[in-house]
Amino acid sequence: MVMDLHVSLPRGLTLANPVIAASGTFGFGPEYSRYVDIGSLGAVSVKGVSPEPWLGNPPPRVWETPMGLLNSIGLQNPGMEVFVRDDLPFLREKGATVIVNIIGHTVDEYARVASRMQGEAGVAALEVNISCPNIKEGGMSFGHDPEQAYQVTRAVRQATDLPVMVKLSPNVTSPALIAQAVEQAGADMISAINTVVGLAIDVEHRRPALGGTTGGLSGPAIKPIALRVVYDVAQSVSIPIIGMGGIASAADVLEFLLAGASAVMVGTVTFQHPGRMQQIIAELPQVLSRGGFRGVSGAVGQALPAASRPQTRGGDL
Amino acid sequence: MAGQQFHDGQVDARIVRREEVARDHVELILESPALARAVPGQFAHILTPGMLRRPVSFSRIEPDSGRVGLLFQVVGEGTAWLANCQEGERLDILGPLGHGFAPPDPSRPWCLVGGGVGIPPLYSAAAQWRESAPDVIIGARTREWVLMQKDFEQLGLGVRVTTDDGSWGQAGTVIGPLQEWLEGHADGQVFSCGPTPMLAAVASACRGRAAAQVALEQRMGCGIGACLACVVPARGQTQMEYRRVCTEGPVFLAEELIW
Ligand SMILES: Cc1cc2nc3c(=O)[nH]c(=O)nc-3n(C[C@H](O)[C@H](O)[C@H](O)COP(=O)(O)OP(=O)(O)OC[C@H]3O[C@@H](n4cnc5c(N)ncnc54)[C@H](O)[C@@H]3O)c2cc1C
Ligand SMILES: Cc1cc2nc3c(=O)[nH]c(=O)nc-3n(C[C@H](O)[C@H](O)[C@H](O)COP(=O)(O)O)c2cc1C
Ligand code: FES
Repeated sequence: MVMDLHVSLPRGLTLANPVIAASGTFGFGPEYSRYVDIGSLGAVSVKGVSPEPWLGNPPPRVWETPMGLLNSIGLQNPGMEVFVRDDLPFLREKGATVIVNIIGHTVDEYARVASRMQGEAGVAALEVNISCPNIKEGGMSFGHDPEQAYQVTRAVRQATDLPVMVKLSPNVTSPALIAQAVEQAGADMISAINTVVGLAIDVEHRRPALGGTTGGLSGPAIKPIALRVVYDVAQSVSIPIIGMGGIASAADVLEFLLAGASAVMVGTVTFQHPGRMQQIIAELPQVLSRGGFRGVSGAVGQALPAASRPQTRGGDL
Repeated sequence: MAGQQFHDGQVDARIVRREEVARDHVELILESPALARAVPGQFAHILTPGMLRRPVSFSRIEPDSGRVGLLFQVVGEGTAWLANCQEGERLDILGPLGHGFAPPDPSRPWCLVGGGVGIPPLYSAAAQWRESAPDVIIGARTREWVLMQKDFEQLGLGVRVTTDDGSWGQAGTVIGPLQEWLEGHADGQVFSCGPTPMLAAVASACRGRAAAQVALEQRMGCGIGACLACVVPARGQTQMEYRRVCTEGPVFLAEELIW
């Protein structure tokens, strides 16, 4: 069956298919390349990169929950220079479409990473993590306040002409308000959702289980939350959305497309099944076709209220 | 989702034998030439019904027969599921993973120090490098959890046993016999695996007296270096840094870690 899986996004960003490895679950590229042809994925969003190295949180850093995973990695990374020197050449050589996930403690730090990536061969887009619930300073506040989200997006926008997506936190009253702020600030796309803040208790030691105290919940447990955010945001902005949260199958991908996502990211399930993203890509044509679609774009937003539904060009469905 | 696809580094291993070796302890023997290329101290990351795979070290590595062993204690849902797997069933495993033990220097005295489910990976090291004939010190809470003593003895090795409750061997921990061994052997090398407090005591006993390689446990996500979940604090060039148990470990030099 011939099925067009291409996704066209702003600023000329084109993905061969809509399945992207989610930041933080796929390392900096080399780690999974033994199990996955990373060039065959829609794109790879690398672990968050800051100007200088970040140490991250004390262990333990992961805890299992029913249908979910709680993590408090704390954005450990070796800094942008090590990323550019050690990992980017590998990603380039493998033909990966690279999205650099950027983090900072201040507006200026975000802008520094953005301008460092500008013109670096092999970087296809930036994803601004304003939403990580792990770090007490920095990330948290930017994603929680429309004004600060605007500021950081604006600074990144001015530092680069790469396609920029801003990643939303679900841990706010109205993700749609934040989405509108970053759209106004010049974001080309939105990715959603980051992890849902949570806590686990280590009964034996009578204390929070994770070294970082709270953690971010991911995996199938958060899929309904993620779908609801995508669905709301899709009705509030006109820029494309990259949806994620608990995706484990091609059927899940179709749900996110219908809720308004133009592409998706896949994270936690990769820990169980390193090859699952490739399997999803292989099975997507059948799932789309069973749903009555002839391509990815035809499905986008088709579960939204009629007024928000994207116009479908004749024959696209 | 229909039939899982397998990739390089991911194996579909058939269970050829299942044995209850002690109360709550099961050993599975798997047929897998790919896993049988493992280095002692490496581990298998095993798919179970939970959200994460379960790491278990190799208790036996037999390249000639293409078989490996996994010996584990049932402590929760994942290991309970594994313990219920039957002969003929298959396991989805990533591995062999991580850095195993560096081979012992045959010209220097060598000692293995294991506690509880830390004993099995040391057996695979003893078997692999048997001509270097290590002294063996193993300990457990109680008699029936002293694992693999017979296996070590079948290699012709002398085994000293300790139990916390004194029900077998010497009462106390492995640290007493280790201290004696260190006193009797200059420039020795120690391989150790067991609960982290025991490893900390081994590291402390060996400091300045013997080179210690220790195999650590930590909660893991991916098992292959991507998620940075499994870290332990180590001495960096200028300051503390985190190293990954799944990739830089599970076996570390005791002196590279911060205990
Ligand atoms: C490199 C390595 C090698 C190991 N080798 C062995 C072995 O040879 N024999 C053996 O009996 N055990 C071994 N363990 C410990 C074993 O992985 C855990 O006992 C097991 O994961 C518990 O799973 P569960 O679902 O039964 O327990 P639960 O407590 O229900 O598990 C909940 C979560 O915590 C994790 N977890 C719980 N205890 C541990 C632990 N001690 N270390 C790491 N993760 C843990 C689990 O993987 C799971 O994600 C090893 C651990 C590591 C890291
Ligand atoms: C271990 C782990 C580390 C993560 N690290 C990052 C990160 O560095 N930056 C980021 O934007 N999101 C990070 N995330 C969030 C994921 O990219 C994703 O938003 C979330 O896990 C939901 O998708 P999933 O349910 O498919 O995993 C991390 C998630 C996990 C599980
Ligand atoms: S478990 Fe993911 S880096 Fe070690």
